[in-house]
Parts: sequence; structure tokens; C-alpha cells
Amino acid sequence: MYEIRFHGRGGQGAVMAAQTIAEAAILEGKQAQAFPYFGAERRGAPVMAFARIDDERICIKTQVYEPDMLVIMDESLLDIEPVAAGLKKEGCAVINSRSAPGDLDLGLEVRCISVDATSVAIEMLKAPIVNTAILGAMVKANDFVRLESVQQAIINRFGEKLGEKAGRINAEAAKIAFDRSQEGVCRGKRPLIKKRLWLPTWQETPPGVALGKEERVGMKVGPGSMSQNLTGTWGTSNPLYDQDKCIRCQRCWFICPEGCIIRKEDDLMEFDLRYCKGCGMCVKVCPKGAITILKKGVKQ
Amino acid sequence: MRSIKALTGNQAVAYGVKLCRVEVIPNYPITPQTIIIEQLADFINDGDLDADFIPADSEHSAMSIAIGASATGVRTFTATASHGLALMHEMLYVPPQVRLPIVLANVNRSLGAGSGIWVEYNDSMAERDSGWMQVYVEDNQEVLDMLLQCYRIAEDPRAVLPIMICLDGFILSHTVERVEIPGQEEVDNFLPKFKPLNFLDPKNPKSMNIAVSPAHSMEMRYQLDRLMENSRQVIKDVDKEFAKAFGRSYGGLIDTYRMKDAEIGLITIGTATSTGRVAVDELRAEGKKVGLIKLRFMRPFPHDELREATKGLKALGVFDRSISANRYGPVFTEVRNSLYGGGMPIIDHIAGIGGRDLTVAALREMFAVLEKRASGHKTKDCYWHGLRGQM
Repeated sequence: MYEIRFHGRGGQGAVMAAQTIAEAAILEGKQAQAFPYFGAERRGAPVMAFARIDDERICIKTQVYEPDMLVIMDESLLDIEPVAAGLKKEGCAVINSRSAPGDLDLGLEVRCISVDATSVAIEMLKAPIVNTAILGAMVKANDFVRLESVQQAIINRFGEKLGEKAGRINAEAAKIAFDRSQEGVCRGKRPLIKKRLWLPTWQETPPGVALGKEERVGMKVGPGSMSQNLTGTWGTSNPLYDQDKCIRCQRCWFICPEGCIIRKEDDLMEFDLRYCKGCGMCVKVCPKGAITILKKGVKQ
Repeated sequence: MRSIKALTGNQAVAYGVKLCRVEVIPNYPITPQTIIIEQLADFINDGDLDADFIPADSEHSAMSIAIGASATGVRTFTATASHGLALMHEMLYVPPQVRLPIVLANVNRSLGAGSGIWVEYNDSMAERDSGWMQVYVEDNQEVLDMLLQCYRIAEDPRAVLPIMICLDGFILSHTVERVEIPGQEEVDNFLPKFKPLNFLDPKNPKSMNIAVSPAHSMEMRYQLDRLMENSRQVIKDVDKEFAKAFGRSYGGLIDTYRMKDAEIGLITIGTATSTGRVAVDELRAEGKKVGLIKLRFMRPFPHDELREATKGLKALGVFDRSISANRYGPVFTEVRNSLYGGGMPIIDHIAGIGGRDLTVAALREMFAVLEKRASGHKTKDCYWHGLRGQM
């Protein structure tokens, strides 16, 4: 049995990629299974999906803990998630990156296929939805399914939802990514991210898992826990605040949907970028142009 | 013509409903079931299914509409989950007594508090006493196949009872698997047009679901008890008919896996059976004489079949994916009731609660406890697997 784990961000199409690779295998007469990490999905948030392919009936219905193939749709996840955890030593990683495999550090020295799927997606689809491009790179990494089957599965799946033309363009994106994929071995220097999860025993669990706001431990609970979930990593831009232009009208403080703007004693503002998704609403409401929006990673 | 598709469990339900030519679909959305209803809406919109699609203002209303529709003698379907099923509770008691063969897909999901969206059987287990038949399935092929079987079973003149098909939230509902879809013609042959026994007809007016006094309600209840008894044979017969028509068979009320020379057995339900097969294969390869009994129907409960299947075992485990807040899980209570007096050690294994991933390791742990008991050591009679903190 061949097991695959996808790491992406909500909106990149990780679940669709998993379903498509499964459909490609099924088209070839194989058995396959594909499913998301079960939970709420939000645009920009780290997400996982899983797939299994085999010639025999697949019975196991658990998550994939030791994948043969790791698919990383967003390089920045390496800094916030233990992406490479459990990957088999003889397995391989497929990553969306501009870098060559030898220049990438996944925390595990394994066979690695890298492709600039974002560029392929923007060229072909005019949007950074990288799932179809990454599927091409996956076939480059392992011929467990043929490229033609993947393209057919893309046409079936995407065509049904988005129309025949979109299906064809997405299938072409897979082919281009297949051709542009680079093969090599990535480095394994980076320590795997260790998540500090709050996992109390049943005796320690508070009634109804309800916690008061004064309890710091409350920040550590559940999928929305503040201490683990730095939602500021989901966005692609941040606001820049110019205190000198600010007239202390409080409009930005009032409108921020994430509560990232903190009103100080003197009514000037402070921005908590750890939780800012860069929506830009503060920029829109500021009457004095004291806030501007900056693309992350771009020098101004 | 048959075709192979990559379908989620929810889509498999919808394809089944389409093949069964269901005529009325009252509905109300709830995670993780909503995709069933969305897929059916697509079928109707695309002209692939000719049915009345009735969005209701709650699940209580959806079941009320289903009752009304079915009472006019048309094939009726609805789907729900968790709190949706709980809100239907009041109306669920009507179709069994009035004998309306409604099919309901319940995508198992836990009930609050905790408001989880993940799989647990505390939604459908709470409806065991409502008079509905209940079948639990382990993969998406079985989802589709059972949908077809469900209408045959429910509409059989020997029983005529509603049936609930229960599938694991997310583990089936949102997982894509290979599914063979039968051709429409062969389904039409297997499942002819619905011929209602008891329905409202303007040419022959009557009252249905009237107030029943103590002078009559006891007879009405006993009738229901007998009908449920009759349904046992119906379920077995329909499975045989299905095997003849489509080449797949599920064993009726229960199925077994590697039980022939087994000394230790584990009763599983839902997708635990699937992962359980992997655990059994591993243990068999290590020379351990273990096997699985797949519990398919909670109602009617397979009392006799379990007695037969567990004969000669040194120890028996029961997997429960919900609790009764009373020491044991509901499946265990039913199983021990069926096997009362046999003297075999029976141990409850509670796991996978609230959607916690049920791993092969957890299932192996269950067999390890049973092995210990079978070899004469003392054990408890209920274990929670994957729980943090001393039990």
C-alpha cells in the first residue's frame, strides 16, 4: 500500500489534490482512498489531507502517520508545522518551491522533488491554486499512477465543477509542472517543529472543558487555541501604522475583526501582528491614511 | 450499465437514492450530512432525478414532511446527523407504528455538550427504541449497496418499517473510495416501483396516526414488536437477492471475518470493522487465533446469530463508539443480553469517542486484553482505549 500525506493551506486545494490522485488510481483499476483531516477548514490555515493507493481492497480507516510520500503545497508550513514527521526514510517529498531540492531543508534527508507550482498556477489559472500543478510533480516523483490518468482525473473532477475548459487548463498545469520538476535529495538539518499541545488526563480536564478567561491554560485548548494558532501566519500581507498621522479616531480599533488592534492609554494604537490576517479593513476606514498595507516578504 | 466512480460516502448515499427513484426528499442541512442533500439537489437540477425536493425549517419538520409524503404512498428519503436526529426524535416514533417505509441516512456524529462534529454513535444509539430498523456500514460500497437494500427491506410486505442507514461521519461521509455503481435497469429489476400497503387515498378515505386509547395501544405496540421480528428474515432474504443481482453480499444481520477456528472474537460496528480486519490479519500472521464479528444491524438485534457465531470462543470483546454513562456502552449491553447464561467472558472496549482516531494499535490492545482473559487471567469487564489518565 502506498500512503500519501498532503500539507497545504486552506484554499490551495489539498483535499481536491488527494481526491484527484485517488480517482486517477481508480481509473487505472486500482483501489484508492482519499480524505481530509477532519475538522473546520479556513482559508490560509494549515490543512492536511491523506490518500492511499493499493492493488488490493484498502481496509484501514485511520489517518496516515507514516507516509511514503509527503506533499508540501506551501513552503512556509515548514516553519510552523512538523511537516516531515513520520515520513519513511525510503519515502519521498514533493514540495512547491522555487529552490532546487538540494537547497531545501525538510528536517529529513530524503529523495525530494521540487517544483515552482505557484508560478505554474499563476501562469495557467491566474490564481495561486497549486493543487493541479503539484499533482504533476507527484507523478514525477513516483510512477504509481500515469500522468495521463492524473490528467483524466483532473478533467473529470475539475471539469464537472468548473466547466470543461477549466478542466483542460488544470490538466495542462499538471503536465507543465511534471516537465519543470527537479529531482534531488533535500537536507535534514532543521529540527522538526514541536507542538506544545494541552493534553490533560481525564482527571485534569475541567468540567465541560470550560475555562475562565483568567486561566492561561484556556489559550491552549482546542483547534482554535491562541497560543498554538498564530493566525497571523495565514495571511500574505500586514498593515503598517504611522503614529504621526494618527488622529486617534479609533475607527481601526473598532473595525478590526480579529481584535489585533490594541487601544493604548493615550488612545494611540498598537498592532498585534501575530493574529493579523492582513484583511486591510483598518486601511480602508482610516481617514488620514495612517495605515498602509504591506505584502509580506517584500522590501519597501 | 455499471460504472466505477471515486465517491465519498455522502455521494454514495445520493447515488443510491437516485438509483432507487425516490420521489420525495424533505431535508434540512447539518454537518457532516449536508453533501448528501446538495448532491441530490444537483441531480434534480440536472434532470437526473425526478423528485420533490422540500427544504424544511428544521429536522423536526423534515421528518414530519417525510411522514406526510410517505403516507400518500410515495418513496421517501431524508438525511440527518447528530442534533438533527435528536430534533427529529419526537417524529421518529410515528413511521414505525403507522408503517411508513421511510429510509433515513444518519451520518453519525456526536451530540453536545462539546459540540463536536466528529463520529460517535450516541446520536443513533439513542433512537434504538423508536421502532426503526438500524444498519451500520463499513465502507462506501456498502453505503450504496445498502441504500438499495434498505428500500427493499423497508417496503417488504412482511415488515413495512422505516430504516435508518448509519454511516460514520467523515470517516465515510468525507472519504473518497472506489465505488461500483449498478446500472439503472438492474436496480429497477431489483427494486420495482413502490407498492404501498397502507396509504392515504381520496377514493378510500381513512385516518392515520389518530389518538389511540389504552384499549388499543398495547396491541399496536405488540404488532410493532412482531414486525421487527419478521424483518430478520426479510433482511437475510434481501441480502441473498442482492447477491444474485449484483454479486455482492453482506451477510444480513451480521458478518464474520476469520472466525472459523477463532478462540477470541471481537464484535465491531461501523468502520471499526474495516480497521479491525487489518488488526486481525496482523495477529493471525503472528499465529493468534482471532476473528471479527461485524455487527450490522442494531435493530433488529441479531440475538440468535450472535449466539451461533460466538460458540466455543474463550473470550469475546465488544467495541463501543458511544457510552451510556452507566459503566458499559450500548452495544455491549445488548450483546451480553443476547449471550446471557453462556458463561463466556465478555469485555466492553470503548474507543474512538468523539471522533478520536481509532488506530490498529488500539484494536490490537483490545485483543491483548481478551487474550489475557482467555488464558485465565483476571481483567476488568470494561476498558477505554486511548484515554489519558488512569482508568
